[in-house]
Amino acid sequence: MRTLLLKLEPIIWFMFGQGIMIGTMLMTGWILVIGILMPLGIVDPMNLNYVRAQELFTASVLGIPIAQLLLAALLVLPLWKGAHHVRSLLVDLGGGERDPLVGTVLYLIAIVGSVMGIGAVAGI
Amino acid sequence: MAGPAHPEAMAPPKPGRTRTAPPQMPSTWWSSPRIRTYLLFDATGIIYFLVGFLAIKIVGQLGAGPIAWQAQMKALENPIYILFHVVALASVIFVAVRFFRLFPKAQPPAIGPAKPPPGPVIHAGLYVLWIGLTLVVSLALAGVIF
Repeated sequence: MRTLLLKLEPIIWFMFGQGIMIGTMLMTGWILVIGILMPLGIVDPMNLNYVRAQELFTASVLGIPIAQLLLAALLVLPLWKGAHHVRSLLVDLGGGERDPLVGTVLYLIAIVGSVMGIGAVAGI
Repeated sequence: MAGPAHPEAMAPPKPGRTRTAPPQMPSTWWSSPRIRTYLLFDATGIIYFLVGFLAIKIVGQLGAGPIAWQAQMKALENPIYILFHVVALASVIFVAVRFFRLFPKAQPPAIGPAKPPPGPVIHAGLYVLWIGLTLVVSLALAGVIF
């Protein structure tokens, strides 16, 4: 497993890098509005009722489903940042002996989550 | 983070040619602000995992129909969810501030003939992009634009 993880390192680092950069940039507004301002009533939740949410998240520009692509990035990329940093945290605290197994499990969770995220966006 | 940090965590898999002292974790490591901040940065990965899976659930409910979407939005009014999102927002801001500070230092001196802009320009550019995207996403979700 250690060899496989080393071979996949470029892909893992690419997804981790995009998770920390693009994921962070997209998540901030999402957390702020959907997680805090709407539940507290500071922003009216009716502004994102079912019909408008459908329109917003399926908007396209020149035939490109830009909203769905951005939404997929928002759902998928943070999982890779999460997997890689949790792996790093566990190495720091517990050593490297179990790292191949821990890393494999964490990236498998990220892969399953990515498929679920893309499925959720495709299902809108 | 209950256990002590592992002193061999950064040790090479095979001993190198040069004799080096074995790595030792000082007993006072926990009191060092630098290692605490470093571990906290890694620990935000847990929050990113949770936010990611929660967002997948939220979008999944949109695909399940208007009643499921309405119920999901109502469920987010639970104080536990709100508290979680406040912690998540703090985590995201912490990651952005720390990562944007590190990013210019990690750039290669040149990519082919092209040289990257000076560090402060990259740093400022990342902030402009982050704040701009956050504004666009927030205003779009709040129904002010689009």
